[in-house]
Amino acid sequence: MHGWADMQGFALYPFDPPGDIGALRAELRAWLAVNQPQRDIVARANCWASFDADFSRALGAAGYVGMTLPIRYGGGDRHPLERYVVIEELLAAGAPVGAHWIADRQTGPLIVRYGSEEQRERYLPGIARGELYACIGLSEPGAGSDLAAVRTSARETAEGWRINGQKIWTTGAHFSHIMLALVRTEEGSERNAGLSQLLIDLDTPGITIRPIIDMAGHHDFNEVFFDDVLVPHGALVGTRGQGWQQVTAELGLERSGPERYLSSHALLAALIDAAGADPGPAVAVLVGELTAEMWTLRQLSMSTAAKLAAGEDPMVEASVVKELGNAFEQDMPRRVQAIVDGPWDDPSDLGRLLRALLIASPSFSLRGGTREVIRGIIARGLGLR
Amino acid sequence: MSAARAMLCDTARAVFAEAATAGMAPVEEAGFALLLVPEAEGGFGGDWEDVNAVLQIAGVTVPGLPVAESMVSDALLPAATVSLMAGAMGQALALSIEHVSTRQQFGRPLGKFQAVQQSLAVMACEVRAVEAAAAALAARLDAVGLDPAAADFEMAAAKLRANRAVGVVTAIAHQVHGAIGFTREYDLNRVTIPLMRWRGEHGNDAYWAARLGRQVAGLGGQGLWGAMTAR
Repeated sequence: MHGWADMQGFALYPFDPPGDIGALRAELRAWLAVNQPQRDIVARANCWASFDADFSRALGAAGYVGMTLPIRYGGGDRHPLERYVVIEELLAAGAPVGAHWIADRQTGPLIVRYGSEEQRERYLPGIARGELYACIGLSEPGAGSDLAAVRTSARETAEGWRINGQKIWTTGAHFSHIMLALVRTEEGSERNAGLSQLLIDLDTPGITIRPIIDMAGHHDFNEVFFDDVLVPHGALVGTRGQGWQQVTAELGLERSGPERYLSSHALLAALIDAAGADPGPAVAVLVGELTAEMWTLRQLSMSTAAKLAAGEDPMVEASVVKELGNAFEQDMPRRVQAIVDGPWDDPSDLGRLLRALLIASPSFSLRGGTREVIRGIIARGLGLR
Repeated sequence: MSAARAMLCDTARAVFAEAATAGMAPVEEAGFALLLVPEAEGGFGGDWEDVNAVLQIAGVTVPGLPVAESMVSDALLPAATVSLMAGAMGQALALSIEHVSTRQQFGRPLGKFQAVQQSLAVMACEVRAVEAAAAALAARLDAVGLDPAAADFEMAAAKLRANRAVGVVTAIAHQVHGAIGFTREYDLNRVTIPLMRWRGEHGNDAYWAARLGRQVAGLGGQGLWGAMTAR
């Protein structure tokens, strides 16, 4: 039975976190009112790409980073759905969570699941403090959407793993302490066989990181070169040769979160505020349509998160959230521009947010799997591939 | 799904299949009008999740019969229509998957072509969104004792979302079916024509969008998030 049949039908998976969720929201909102840096409003858009080390550290000290990690490694031992609530609040508030984002979302949980005891003790406490940042080494010049074409090699030697090759489009490599890389550990292996995950300290000799400046003028992603880089045997994460399976599981964490529909939330809030309590008909209709879409996406995202938390693997549902969410957050600035009057260099909050999101939005349906790859996964769930 | 609801669905399938040719009489005999009536008053004591499940089946098998009207008050007909639409869209998707998996052209099933796969993925996302909207609206209605005023936000959002999916779903379903889907004989029109009708009934896009938009404007930019998470 294909994945679609399991998810189709009447019900949403119940989103039922333990504890008092209203109190959790209230505490976090109160904390943010005091601790969220009063930066320019443009920084609130796409805020999970916004780096602020001080904020990440403060957030960690307050117990909002590494929430689901075990207490013995500095985590909070909280339920994944409690973390979900915290994440959606942070994103809706436009908090600058970019520094610790990847470590908190996927590297920490992956180390808990597949990592060795040594790796857990070494990395998890720093992640939970909001001080240790991670990046994901997947894409290569010849392996973008076709991830199984990865060629960066790691050969096992007496001293450890010797790595040669290149990663590209690596978000945050320039400020990260570690990279979780997908590399080819079996010489002569093809496609998704013979791949493994290595946890690499980025200050290891032989690693060169070069910036790639994006069309918004930001430095988010990088090229990372490995020239005879030697890492210890203990850098292997999980099972040798199982890298593909481990990465696939990790992508489920990456694709269905609230960040897939809240990147443009600051613009919706600004549009509502600019229009006032008695908006014209065009603005009212657009706000209504965007609200309906956001409400629906939130239901789907929560249902998928609940399924993930229950130990299921909602690969197809996660892809539905990403596809619809990306379309929504990408469409929003275009539709706002279509009805809001103002010059390109409009200095108002709404104008600047709009411009920033119009320019940033092409990346929304590229990062974390392109639209075409995501639709291919859904088509597989429908039994077509 | 609970065992009781699964039984209810089985009954609905059987009764509606008969009603497809016999009209409302079997639906009335089976007592579906009493679905929401409390057991103490001689009814089934069902909730809106039951209504949602039953109407999704009705949307596929008896879209032309006033099943929803017989079960719920007028004020809740927009919500009932969302369920009918979710059912009909699920059927349009199922028919489309079946067609592209069996119909061969250029020596292979249509579903093996990436262009067709990508179209059906888009359609599946819309169908899933409407199912989610119907389910979330049901949860809200049950939480507020079926008070339409207390579920005004969710009713507006769900009906609007369902309306907006109609164009995409009917267009892709017909496109991947080719000429056969345009015949009176083939089943597809029995869900796509009702979908076109339901989009305009009990509030079209413009009606719900303006209503929801004005409601949200009153909340303010941050207020929207607060309201959404408080419900």
